Amino acid sequence: MISSLRARKVRSTRDSVLGVLLLVLLLFPVYWMVNLSVQSSGSNLASGLFPTEIHLDGYRAAIADQSANLVTSLVVSILSVILTLVIAIPAAYALAQFRLPGLNLILLVLAVTQMIPGIVIANSLYSSYNDLGLLNTMLGLVLADASHSIPFAILLIRTAMQAVPVAVLEAARLDGAGLFRSFRSIAVPLARNGIITASLFSFLFTWSDFLFALTLTTTDDLRPVTLGIYTYLGADQTDWSAVMATSVLASLPAIVLLLVAQRYIAAGASGGAVK
Amino acid sequence: MTHASRRSRRLALVATLAGTAAALTSCAGGGATSTSGDVDTLRVADYYTDEPARSIIGDTLDACGASIGVTIEREAVPSSDYLSKILQQSSSRTLPDVQMIDAQDLPAIASSGALSPLAERSVPTDNVGDSVLSLGTVDDEVYGLAPTVGTIVMFVNNDLLQQAGVAVPTTWDELTAAAAALTVDGRYGIAFSAKNDGQGTYAFLPLLWSAGGSEDELDSDAARAALQLEVDLVSSGSASQSTVQWGNSDVGDQFLTGSAAMAITSGTQMSKLDAEGGRNYSITAIPVPTAGDTAVAPLGGEVWTLPRSGDDAREKAAADLLACIMSDENQLSLAEQRRVVPANPELDSAYLETLPQLADYVAVVRDGRSRTAILQEAWPTTNQAIWTAVQSAVTGQSSVDEALADAAASAASAQ
Amino acid sequence: MTSVTTPTAQTVRRRPAREGRAPGRRRVSRERVYQWLFIAPALLYVVLFFAYPVVKNVVMGFQDYTTASFYTGEAPFVGFANYVTIFSDPTFWPSVTNTFVFTIGSIVGQFTLGLAIAVFFRRRFPLSTILRSLLLLPWLLPVIVSTALWRSLMDQDSGAINVVLKGLGIIDTGIPWLASPSIALLSVIIVNVWVGIPFNVAILYGGLQDIPEELYEAAAVDGASPWRTFWSVTWPLLRPTVTVVILLCVIYTLRSIDIILGLTRGGPANSTQTLPTASYFQSFQQFQFGLGAATSNVLIIIAFVFALLYLRASRRSLTD
Repeated sequence: MISSLRARKVRSTRDSVLGVLLLVLLLFPVYWMVNLSVQSSGSNLASGLFPTEIHLDGYRAAIADQSANLVTSLVVSILSVILTLVIAIPAAYALAQFRLPGLNLILLVLAVTQMIPGIVIANSLYSSYNDLGLLNTMLGLVLADASHSIPFAILLIRTAMQAVPVAVLEAARLDGAGLFRSFRSIAVPLARNGIITASLFSFLFTWSDFLFALTLTTTDDLRPVTLGIYTYLGADQTDWSAVMATSVLASLPAIVLLLVAQRYIAAGASGGAVK
Repeated sequence: MTHASRRSRRLALVATLAGTAAALTSCAGGGATSTSGDVDTLRVADYYTDEPARSIIGDTLDACGASIGVTIEREAVPSSDYLSKILQQSSSRTLPDVQMIDAQDLPAIASSGALSPLAERSVPTDNVGDSVLSLGTVDDEVYGLAPTVGTIVMFVNNDLLQQAGVAVPTTWDELTAAAAALTVDGRYGIAFSAKNDGQGTYAFLPLLWSAGGSEDELDSDAARAALQLEVDLVSSGSASQSTVQWGNSDVGDQFLTGSAAMAITSGTQMSKLDAEGGRNYSITAIPVPTAGDTAVAPLGGEVWTLPRSGDDAREKAAADLLACIMSDENQLSLAEQRRVVPANPELDSAYLETLPQLADYVAVVRDGRSRTAILQEAWPTTNQAIWTAVQSAVTGQSSVDEALADAAASAASAQ
Repeated sequence: MTSVTTPTAQTVRRRPAREGRAPGRRRVSRERVYQWLFIAPALLYVVLFFAYPVVKNVVMGFQDYTTASFYTGEAPFVGFANYVTIFSDPTFWPSVTNTFVFTIGSIVGQFTLGLAIAVFFRRRFPLSTILRSLLLLPWLLPVIVSTALWRSLMDQDSGAINVVLKGLGIIDTGIPWLASPSIALLSVIIVNVWVGIPFNVAILYGGLQDIPEELYEAAAVDGASPWRTFWSVTWPLLRPTVTVVILLCVIYTLRSIDIILGLTRGGPANSTQTLPTASYFQSFQQFQFGLGAATSNVLIIIAFVFALLYLRASRRSLTD
């Protein structure tokens, strides 16, 4: 008994080391970003493998210029995730569990919408937004960013919804639960993993969106950080340390949010229900 | 509009009615006012989002705005995407009152009808040199004016050249020899841009033009000689293969870090070199094929244009703003701050008083040529054909002859 | 080997609709209405945001659309001329080949590595949660930043990759990762795989978590090797997730443009030119928006056909 416990601990430690090594290899470019962010201001992309001195000019500039933009990005991303989930979760349930006519066609359409070049959508959106007065508004950005995540979230969550045991749902219906009740109380919790993963990526889609930020804003009032970073990117010269510092700062709140979300992806979310 | 689009537009209106009320109370940008009368604000768009250019241009705009009694609402868009912005605003008729356009993109936008010829707006064009005027001319009408222009030149590292006992090259043969002599371990003799965008073409044109070639005849001996020079510099190891990746800014970086002893790049890289300090450099014209030839280089920079808005008062105010931007004082001030050359040749003496070391630079600009002068709207296709040919030949993918034959063919397909 | 499977929507095929048996037609139609309400907002959204652009793009493929068309709204109808032009362009078929190589290479790389990493992370060990979150960083970075980083790392002379490889004695002279037409496509695929691994890991990991622990315990009791366990337990139950991941990855990669534009702009010498980048140059370099629309329509058709065949194939295999 004791030896198997120790064997498991050894294996755990070995896995941790392997995990860290894997990350070091995969995230070497990220290390490079941090390396460049502490170089002296305005320097180019070439640098030694390790920073010889630490300059914080990049961070000073980033904090001074981009704080408001980071908040904007954060707010737009979170709102867009909420909107996406509100629309996508019921739709995913419907496509998974209901016998609706044209279901396959709907799935195909959802897949193909992901195919449309962003610039095509942005061009059309600009005219409509201009007519409706949605340019430079938080609502406008959220609506546009959600449009990219919703089909994706539907496809992903639908898979999770398909794994919900029909027997449990039927039992609930026989007990008198309505359509919406059985959806909310049984299906949603059981599809939790898919929902969390979908929210993760909806957040990331919006967080890293540049096209809609560029197209749907004309003033500095509402400026997500993907656009704000161009304060340092010019045709003739680029302040790379500020660019990288902004990127590092931008990654931090996102990582925190992702950490929190990942905790909720628990094992066997749907497994135990039938017992 | 198609039926489907009209229907979806109506649906869009219905669906967002609730949100529109809230949205409208917040700052809604876009539409130009159609009421004439007193003008409070003018919308101006440019693509200098980064410092220090952002402030330099912003200050000039604000000062000019103040002088004619308007506030400037500025929209700065990243240079890589400003064209799609112009097109979007063009289709919804919400172009700003004054729009900055890169000189080589002007024919495409002017031909769309969205810009007023400056003659219609009575904007004076007399304090601008001929070559600079040609930058803003499309189909014999002047659509835009550039207060300053730049060009591509050769930077040489005086210390490194002295160490190697090499004189500043003025002909192609001298250039090849100097580059070879200056190439040692860890350093290339020369760096230039062979990137697959306008910057690669920008570096090729001075070679083509100084050899007597022309951009509408890519299958010529002059073109072959010019391309062969670039190919030889890379294949002999005097220039890095990475030239196909580098833009002007990257080439400037190579020179700045001492990785290249000479660099052919845009004059605007000067600000970078002066800021960092410590590089003892000179600027000279790009070498010519044989001694005595004239160095002809392409002019680079942007023109300010006046999109149509249909509102007489706004159009008049915009014209006044442009005239202010083009004033001699502003030309000089912008040129000195950004290390480019004023458009008005009469300002040369004043300019060289402040920056005497740039005499060669000014001379090259005065002999410079607009890239769109001959081809006008067909330039963009030729531009792409040229940089593709340069890349094919420099990477060894095709021979110089094949590359230029292909280029001539694809350029012809557009005309 | 004992196995416990619960009937789920994908394993239960074509059961007679419950709704049909419900007493009274009135309750049936109200139930139907409620069901449609679940999906109506999503459909409305898709129609509002995608219908007009798609229609416009299809129509544009048949028009001579220039900068003037943006301003005046007029674009003469030219029938199939645009399609003839792009098909007869000598760079078209190389672009198609590059698109397929890029897509297949990226998917194979992203998926196999992503699956391996996801399976690895299934074992619980200290730091696994933090490591899993950090793994998403490549996806978090703005494209302009990640392409700048990779260009710096892959520089032939001073890039860290060549410096390390030279230091380890593996190579003598720097590899022209992005500067050589014969290597550039591979390099771009490598970067795309790097960017895509987090996406695959996250989704596959979520799917793995839904596989009941008891099945693994049962397999262990039966003495199955890790490989056997994977093929008998993990793979069959992961199939639906795998289907979605591959479908989405293929679609995203087919239309991918930012990575390539940021790294090589389709060069050097068109060696990394794909259909999306070609469309971009036709529209925004040559101002031939009709050609650009035609090229992107070809791409959309390819994606559509792929999605159709793929979904059909995956449905059929589930009933075997």
